Amino acid sequence: MRIKSALAAAAIVTLAAACGGGGGGEPAAPGEPVKLDFLSLAWQKESVAANKELVNEWNKAHPDIQVTYVQGSWDNVNDQLVTQFAGGTAPDVIHNDSPALAGFASDGYLLDLSAKLPAELKSDIPQSAWDTVTFTGGEGEQGVYGVPFLQESQVIIANKKLLDESGVRVPTPEEPWTWDEFSEAAKKMTKDGQYGVAWAMKSPVNKTLNLALNFGGTFFQTTDGNTTVKVGPEEREVLQRIHDQLYKDKSADPAALGQGTADPLPAFFQGKFAMLPTGVYLRQQVVEQAPDDFEWVTLPAPKGTSAQQGAVSQTLSIAQESEHPDEAMQFISFFLNAANQAKLAKGDWLLPASQKAAADPAMTTQENGWDVATASAKNLVVAPFLKVNGYDEWRSKVATPVLQEYFADKITLDEVAKRLVEEGNQVLERYHR
Amino acid sequence: MTATATRPAPPRAPRSKRRGASRQKREMWLLMLPAMVPVLLFSVGPLLYGIGLAFTDARNTRVHETSFVGLENFTRMLSDEQFWASFQIGAIWSVSVTVLQFLAALGLALLLNMNLRFRSVARVLAVVPWAMPPVVIGLMWKLVYHPDAGILNGLLGTDVNWLADFSLALPAIIVVGVWTGMPQTTVVLLAGLQNVPKELYEAGEVDGAGRWRRFWNITLPQLRPVIVAITSLDFVWNFNQFGLVYVLTQGGPGGRTRLPMLFAYEEAFRYRAAGYASMLGLAMAIVVLAVLGLYLWRQMREAK
Repeated sequence: MRIKSALAAAAIVTLAAACGGGGGGEPAAPGEPVKLDFLSLAWQKESVAANKELVNEWNKAHPDIQVTYVQGSWDNVNDQLVTQFAGGTAPDVIHNDSPALAGFASDGYLLDLSAKLPAELKSDIPQSAWDTVTFTGGEGEQGVYGVPFLQESQVIIANKKLLDESGVRVPTPEEPWTWDEFSEAAKKMTKDGQYGVAWAMKSPVNKTLNLALNFGGTFFQTTDGNTTVKVGPEEREVLQRIHDQLYKDKSADPAALGQGTADPLPAFFQGKFAMLPTGVYLRQQVVEQAPDDFEWVTLPAPKGTSAQQGAVSQTLSIAQESEHPDEAMQFISFFLNAANQAKLAKGDWLLPASQKAAADPAMTTQENGWDVATASAKNLVVAPFLKVNGYDEWRSKVATPVLQEYFADKITLDEVAKRLVEEGNQVLERYHR
Repeated sequence: MTATATRPAPPRAPRSKRRGASRQKREMWLLMLPAMVPVLLFSVGPLLYGIGLAFTDARNTRVHETSFVGLENFTRMLSDEQFWASFQIGAIWSVSVTVLQFLAALGLALLLNMNLRFRSVARVLAVVPWAMPPVVIGLMWKLVYHPDAGILNGLLGTDVNWLADFSLALPAIIVVGVWTGMPQTTVVLLAGLQNVPKELYEAGEVDGAGRWRRFWNITLPQLRPVIVAITSLDFVWNFNQFGLVYVLTQGGPGGRTRLPMLFAYEEAFRYRAAGYASMLGLAMAIVVLAVLGLYLWRQMREAK
């Protein structure tokens, strides 16, 4: 009996030890290939294919550095990464976007790449794009925490038939509509059972904040290292104009308000509204889903006092705890060379950060609005909110509900300003160290 | 054993009896071990760890040094309007889902208990939602509620975005919640119904009690223990519901469906405040236990 209990106890101890010691990879033995995990968030069919193809190409050329493609999803990547980082099981190479990097960088989970970047990659990507990935790291030092490779700008996708019928001037990248012209055009295209424009505002914050730069609206100000929220006349411009289209001009389709970016497309194809302001990548869905006889054009976004838009980049980063950061960097510089960036941009219908890739003929063709999309890249500036510590919490706890209520006409613009500032500053205060 | 009890006790009996008892106890522990170890390792351990975290400023970051902060998280929780808003939503959600679930399931169970044709087929069909994981249910209902392609708008001929409307989103997910939890409630109530002795009904009929009278004075009192058990379990499950709402609305629009569990999840995994989130979890566990304790205690007292 006693022996049996001793055996049982021993079994439990070993079991517990086995459970506890499960984590942590071992360094590769000499002669064995280095193994890297690459978390990719590509989701459009062409883009997943392009990603996988590049990984295969790399693995064939580099038998000593083998990369495993891991599929992730934009919906929950940040939740996933928080858990994986905390558990020490994060992938080596991480695909994400620049707003998320700020948080992970200051948490100390991402590797500062500034010393590791090869010169060719560094010079191929313009400084304005590097600015979107330069953050304060865990120890308070400035660093580059990712390689930006895809950028999104806002354009207007329009129903060509309805646009031509209305007889308004067709805007070009050189001479875009002003916001007044845009609202006027939307009014002209509004008639029985048909709206001029549709704003998909399920996630209204990034979109409005990026467009607010048209009138110089930054929403944040920093004095003495203290960031606070500001909603002044500049910030109110775009908010008010969208609200006017919805409730004063009644030229915007109220049904689209609660919808996600791609949700209004079926109604768009049916001609229920004429214009859809959206990110450039949505062109892919239009091409794929539109009925054969549906004609559409890509128009540049309207301009206010300037045509500037806030830029957000998709990035590749390396985990701080990766055991093979140098090999990971080698992989990134192959994956993001100019030719490959053009492939990835084409696959995702976004703008490449690489200047050489942007000059690729495939990026400037008139087909499917690539010329307008690529031309909009020159208006991209770093979105001010990127550098705000606590922006994510401000966005989901304060700004999202407030803007949703505003666009649903439940509160006034003054209340919006008051709540964004008061409740917002409470949130930001917790992030000041 | 009975033999030893009747026989006059031999001198060594008390000792050997004690030894036998202790031996029996030891064997009992040994037999329980395989069940206890996983419980201790994977439930009690993390639970204690979580309670510990609730009194620290732990953050899910690499550079942060966790320190003990006492009741700071607790005071922050008390003054956190967002949390109380979400708590209120959680209360509305769990009470209404539990009550509606019970009423609907009771109706269905009574129906399935009758001598219908295709009764066995109907019983199987009633259990189908049980076989689906919450995420699948969420995705399915998302399609039902879809503003353009959804069958609900198609059937009603309306153009409503159910899950994005400020006042409709919560009722819409409550309907899904009721639907999801109905099978297990129905099955348990049906089992209860089948245990009600037939003689009681016969006696009632002889005494001239009508259908309603028989239900009220025989079925309900007989079902009482089952009803208490299943509604209290349902309440706990519903209060802790996460996957379904996470898939359907992610707490939107504007936080109108942000149940407390979602709120705590966001604190921990979006804003990395592990310590604060643990305090929220702890508070919710205590509230559930308190509500449940009160309810069970009252029911027990009335039953006596």
